[in-house]
Amino acid sequence: MLRYGDPQIAVGAVFAALALLLAAAFTLIGVQAGSDVPFERVHRVGYWLRKRWLGLLLVVGVVVVGITFFDLPYASGGGAGRTLVKVTGGQFFWSLAPDQVPAGTRVRFDVTSLDVNHGFGLYDPHGHLVGSVQAMPGYHNRLDLTLGEAGVYRIRCLELCGLNHSTMESTFTVTPR
Amino acid sequence: MEAATTAVHSQVLHPRAAAFTVRARSVERRIGLLFAASGLALVLLMGVLGLVMRLTQATVVDLSPGWFYRLLTLHGAGMITGVLLVMMGALWYVLHQTVPLRVGRMLATYGLIVLGALAVLVATLVGGFGAGWTFLPPLPSYPAGQWSTWSESLFFVGVLLVDAGFFVYCLDVLEQTTGRYGGLARTLGWHFLRGREDSAPPPQAIAATAVAIDGLLSSAAATAILAGLLGRTYDSTAGIDALVAKNLVYFFGHSMANLTIYLAAGAAYVLIPRYAGRPYETTKVFVAGWAGSLVFVATAYSHHLYMDFVQPTWAQGVSEIASYGAVIPVAVVTIYSMTMLVWGSSYRWTLASLLFYVGLAGWAIGGVGAVIDSLIPINFRLHNTDWVVAHFHTYLILCVVVWSFAFLAHLLERGADRTTPAGGRAWTVTLILVGGYGLTGTWFLEGVLGVPRRYAIQPPGTTGYSLAGSIFALVLAVGIGSLCLQLVALAREAWQRRRYTLVERTDSWTGGRYQARVGRGPDEPPAAEALTDSGLPLASPAQLALGAAAFVVALAAFFPQVVDAADTNIRFHHLDHAGQFLLGVALGLLLGSLPAVSRTLGKKPSAGLAAVIGAPALMMLVMLPRFYEPLEGDPAGHALYHLAMAALGLAAGLGATRLGRVAGRLAAFLAVGMCVMFAAAMK
Repeated sequence: MLRYGDPQIAVGAVFAALALLLAAAFTLIGVQAGSDVPFERVHRVGYWLRKRWLGLLLVVGVVVVGITFFDLPYASGGGAGRTLVKVTGGQFFWSLAPDQVPAGTRVRFDVTSLDVNHGFGLYDPHGHLVGSVQAMPGYHNRLDLTLGEAGVYRIRCLELCGLNHSTMESTFTVTPR
Repeated sequence: MEAATTAVHSQVLHPRAAAFTVRARSVERRIGLLFAASGLALVLLMGVLGLVMRLTQATVVDLSPGWFYRLLTLHGAGMITGVLLVMMGALWYVLHQTVPLRVGRMLATYGLIVLGALAVLVATLVGGFGAGWTFLPPLPSYPAGQWSTWSESLFFVGVLLVDAGFFVYCLDVLEQTTGRYGGLARTLGWHFLRGREDSAPPPQAIAATAVAIDGLLSSAAATAILAGLLGRTYDSTAGIDALVAKNLVYFFGHSMANLTIYLAAGAAYVLIPRYAGRPYETTKVFVAGWAGSLVFVATAYSHHLYMDFVQPTWAQGVSEIASYGAVIPVAVVTIYSMTMLVWGSSYRWTLASLLFYVGLAGWAIGGVGAVIDSLIPINFRLHNTDWVVAHFHTYLILCVVVWSFAFLAHLLERGADRTTPAGGRAWTVTLILVGGYGLTGTWFLEGVLGVPRRYAIQPPGTTGYSLAGSIFALVLAVGIGSLCLQLVALAREAWQRRRYTLVERTDSWTGGRYQARVGRGPDEPPAAEALTDSGLPLASPAQLALGAAAFVVALAAFFPQVVDAADTNIRFHHLDHAGQFLLGVALGLLLGSLPAVSRTLGKKPSAGLAAVIGAPALMMLVMLPRFYEPLEGDPAGHALYHLAMAALGLAAGLGATRLGRVAGRLAAFLAVGMCVMFAAAMK
């Protein structure tokens, strides 16, 4: 059973707020469209506002994109001190070795595919999507995670891989310490 | 009795619009109607398939996964093709008034795209092909018993034909705009931006040129990967590199889907001002914005590969910056300046203008959903969930499809010289907005919940979202149905009025005013003047020397040592073939650019076009081990094969010289580029 969780809820809330703000802005502009304002005045105010709008977007962009660069999910380094879990996708199964680790283990998932592209989507015991990485034939994508909570994690395929894509599932167990 | 006659003002446009609105010629109306009606017919059909899929996810309809994926593949390919058709027609309609685009090229585009769409239809519905419209390699070769090789091949041929149609369109746009405005930098307004000139081309010409360049780049990538995949259906020993293939597929797929909205923007710069009564003028900010869009559209695509961790991290970073960067020209230039046009304009509300206006909001709201997903740490948690489906359906349904209808409504309202009753159009648009945003809202919620996209069978406990989505989709369908009824009524009236126009007369005795019908005369506005000479790719001695240098360097591809070394690795082998092709292209460009040879060859733009598309495509199709391995024991045959590569390059190079300076150079570059991309993707 899937459940809402962070940070997705926060992301959804930010989007909803921005979408409503835009809807309100377009409603206001639509209402004002019927009025008669000299274009020179619209130009003067509009261009003044546009410079600030551009400035705001640039500042938000630099800050937000900049912050994300400190939180990239890409594994780096040789994986020392991490438990290697080899993940292989195939039509339409997942193979994980080992398929369980103790809670709090620093895991490196080494993900590949035997045939087509698959998506390794990891859901925690509450049904909350932790994250995903692609399983690609001929390549090994490495994902580092620390799984603190014990329980049965579910793996779903997140890349269209053929007929049984929607039932390509497996589990990964995190045992209590 | 004598009567003074004056033309009646348009009832559907803003009165001020008469000062800057050019009356469309019949060829523009016909091409516009052909593309809009055909594209929208496809969109409606694909919309029905979308509804069936959503009902399947809601377990209301019992469709097998095999059929679900057939419909999914057809729905994606068909929708993109449908809106592409409409928007190509819309941009052509507004651009042809000032740029001498060729009718023959447009009809060739139409023919290729319709043929391609038919091939995709047969490949999916009859052949069972269901690898998705992005056909992520190597999935097409792993059908799990669902499709046969012929349907796989036919699907690739279909997409290649659509791609070729778009290539023809973009090349004509690029050739004609750069010919009309004097070179690439001038056409994109860069001279104006740098203060070297006082004026720049109109907005639609700048937008069309930028779209054409990105369209040609993405079409070339598509041709390279599709030729490789088509070849694999004949020779299964040909391997494919999944990462390079994915880059090429998304460079094509993302750009193509993205360009539909940029094509639409080009048309909107001309059409929305007609309702606001304020012309959209080219400013330096506008030029800078489109220079940004030109770069960002071509570089943002790799956000589709964020979760492919083997993609170089720098490329992921560039893609994230480009994805955010793409927002700025849209938010600061296009959408913002459109709202400035509308604000306080006594906007003339008609069916078309209402749809244009609400489409702006759809672009903005869908764009916010897209940019959120383009941040890597967020994408880590939303990648390939229904969030993706949500954001692209928001701007596709609520902007591109809505604008597609808006364009058709514009043509029909102008033809009928009336709009539809205010109450009816308000209800119609309300239904479309409630249904559309409700439908995409359910996907946004599912994305937050982590529901994977493209599931024939939804995860347990999530069927309710699909059911709610289906209900909203039905509301949307009712809204679209109501819209179609209004368009049909307008079409009938426009058809009846096709032979006459209304004029206002004043009775000289009584001074009374009345309207009368008079036949439409042959007094069409003059056509844009055809180009007499759009230049040669290598015009100056320095450019000819550069061509000669490329030829000399490419000679190395024939050195026995290089040929032997290339035989050790299939990629090097293909790269060597690309080098031989380059040699031919350089020679062709050199020869064809010599004035004496050029005069002898004559104009022949259609032959040139066929050569720049056909020669590289043919070369890639014969670069299969099954073709060339038997020749390796036969020195004469082997040498001939390599010479044939150069000969195909020669044909492409000579062909490029028939396409003018800018389009010719880019076509030659892309012909070689396709062969290099092919070499990178195959192993």
